[in-house]
Amino acid sequence: MNQRALVLPAVSVALVAGLLGVQTANGGGDFVPARAADPCVPRVVTAASTTSIEALGEVLVLYGIDGAACRIGVSREQLVLTLGVGTDHTEALYAELRAGLLDAVERMKRENLLPPASALADEALADADLNRFLKAAIRALPDRVVDAALKTDDVLRRAITDLDLRRLLDDLDQPNRLQQQISAAVTQAVKDSLTDRLRSIVPDLPGL
Amino acid sequence: MPTLARRAVVPLLAFTVGTVLADSAIVTLALPEILRELDGTVSEVAWVLIAYNLVLAIAAVPAAWVLSHRNPTPLAAIGIAVFALASAACALASTMEVLIAARSIQALGGAFALVGCLELLVAALDERRGLARWTAAGVIGTAAGPFAGGLLTEAISWQSIFVVQVPIAVLAVPAALTIRAPRAPSPTRERPAGAPNIALILLSAALTAALFLVVLLLVEGWRRSPATAALAVSVVPVAAFVAPPLARFVRGGPRSETAAGCVLIAGGLAALAWPPSAHLGWTIAPQALIGLGLGLTVDSLTFAAMRDRFPRALHGGWTIGARHAGVVLGLVLLTPVFTADLRDAEVPATEAITGLILDAPLQPDDKIALASSLGERLQAERGRVPDLHPAFAELRLSDAERVAADRLEAALNNQLERAATRAFRDSFLIAAGLALAALLALIPLPRRRRALEMTSLVQDGGGR
Repeated sequence: MNQRALVLPAVSVALVAGLLGVQTANGGGDFVPARAADPCVPRVVTAASTTSIEALGEVLVLYGIDGAACRIGVSREQLVLTLGVGTDHTEALYAELRAGLLDAVERMKRENLLPPASALADEALADADLNRFLKAAIRALPDRVVDAALKTDDVLRRAITDLDLRRLLDDLDQPNRLQQQISAAVTQAVKDSLTDRLRSIVPDLPGL
Repeated sequence: MPTLARRAVVPLLAFTVGTVLADSAIVTLALPEILRELDGTVSEVAWVLIAYNLVLAIAAVPAAWVLSHRNPTPLAAIGIAVFALASAACALASTMEVLIAARSIQALGGAFALVGCLELLVAALDERRGLARWTAAGVIGTAAGPFAGGLLTEAISWQSIFVVQVPIAVLAVPAALTIRAPRAPSPTRERPAGAPNIALILLSAALTAALFLVVLLLVEGWRRSPATAALAVSVVPVAAFVAPPLARFVRGGPRSETAAGCVLIAGGLAALAWPPSAHLGWTIAPQALIGLGLGLTVDSLTFAAMRDRFPRALHGGWTIGARHAGVVLGLVLLTPVFTADLRDAEVPATEAITGLILDAPLQPDDKIALASSLGERLQAERGRVPDLHPAFAELRLSDAERVAADRLEAALNNQLERAATRAFRDSFLIAAGLALAALLALIPLPRRRRALEMTSLVQDGGGR
């Protein structure tokens, strides 16, 4: 083969190498779908919600899903997709989800993300089914009294323990029923927390 | 033959050759519209493409045998007429079965038209120029098929792809009948050229990926319109057209051209498997390499397989058979790979989409509504890349949230494009491997080295 015969193959190899080099330098090998992050590695989560209770709930759920996924050993995306498809999940899955949410409360407490109960009181009272005199009376209480009587983490733990997760996930696409279930669980948790608090102050109070 | 008549007849016959070969891939961009309008299945739609190439591959050699034993003039004219009538039937087809049957008849007529036009072009010009026109028309037709089909589908309809072939044939049939191509029985019957035809099979299989998978990636994976895709793939015929003059300027010889062409096609296909984004600009350079490679290889290999081999028509039949067998091989080999990869890509794509929705700065209610709507779309479009926009359009959002939703939609589309591109990677790499295998097929083995060297010497010395 003469030298002239080598020109075209040599130019071709150079063109191909040049093109693949430019593509690789611009991320050619990285143009693949994003991989799910390890749920056991804590991630920064910011809530899109504007109201503080909703924002608290949003962060709690996102932390909780991470925690549950870490416990089960899947990505949070796989867990969410599993929960989103069908309703016939095992009790063990619900137990892990509940445990993940409880872990989330601990983490939020550790990271000082839980606001004091007094910061949530006004918003909670606006939605509460109480007469306006009682609402006014509670609003008149000093913040330190409210904070002394109710601990946010305690209320959340109780609410999570009481929540019927199976029903909650079944109603995921019906916001009103979802809200009703969460309100009922939080109200019950506040009531239980107050009762326990009173019981610790006045152990022999009748009716407790 | 008078010069004036030859000036009109030769381009018409060359155009007919280009049209018949363009038809092997012309419906590629129209397949989604055919699928919708004729209410077929994906496998039936694939047969619209496979049937034509399969029948042409099978019929080419028998048609060439008949042509080499009979007067080629009427047979070529009949072949063109059958091709045109079957094209009209394709345009009128109202069911998938009728369309596939019409495509098969079209290919049968096309086989006689292709080999017949070879004999007529040689009769009208001379051995060297006739063969050169025939191969060049074939290369341009093959490369321009998807481009022409895409533009016609977008501008008019898929039926127009077939309708435009009828007037070409109406002119080509009388043109064919004006040429007297007496049957000249050859004193010797030579065996079909092995290495060039094997290389043509492998290269055609690789080029199927370039002409078929690129279009699918652009239209189905990246959701570009058929017109945009047609414009993008027009790089291939343009590059194929400029390759031979460039090669003549370098004067490296046929073996040098085919070796360079195989490297360019393999490299272009590998580059398509490796794009940095779904921007159309990243497909231009790889397609240009493929087009250059197509122009350098198919032309040279067809020459190598046919030059000074008699009966000419029979060897023409072998090259057509080899090329279309290669197309069928490419479709059969690559279709299951990319459809399986596309199915597998659903999982990472769905997970990436779920992650983005979870982290999106949208109200929880909106996230749930969006996730539910997107889930339905993903399920409905199983096996295909879905259009996510309607799910976003249904949402009632504040202005601030609309900005976030638009950003999320762009991010989700990016994930889908990434997943689709990844799903095509294996097929493009396999196709690149086929192009390299064609290069290996051309390396002379000790037994046939001497014969190839003789052929090469004749070609190098005689020019083309």
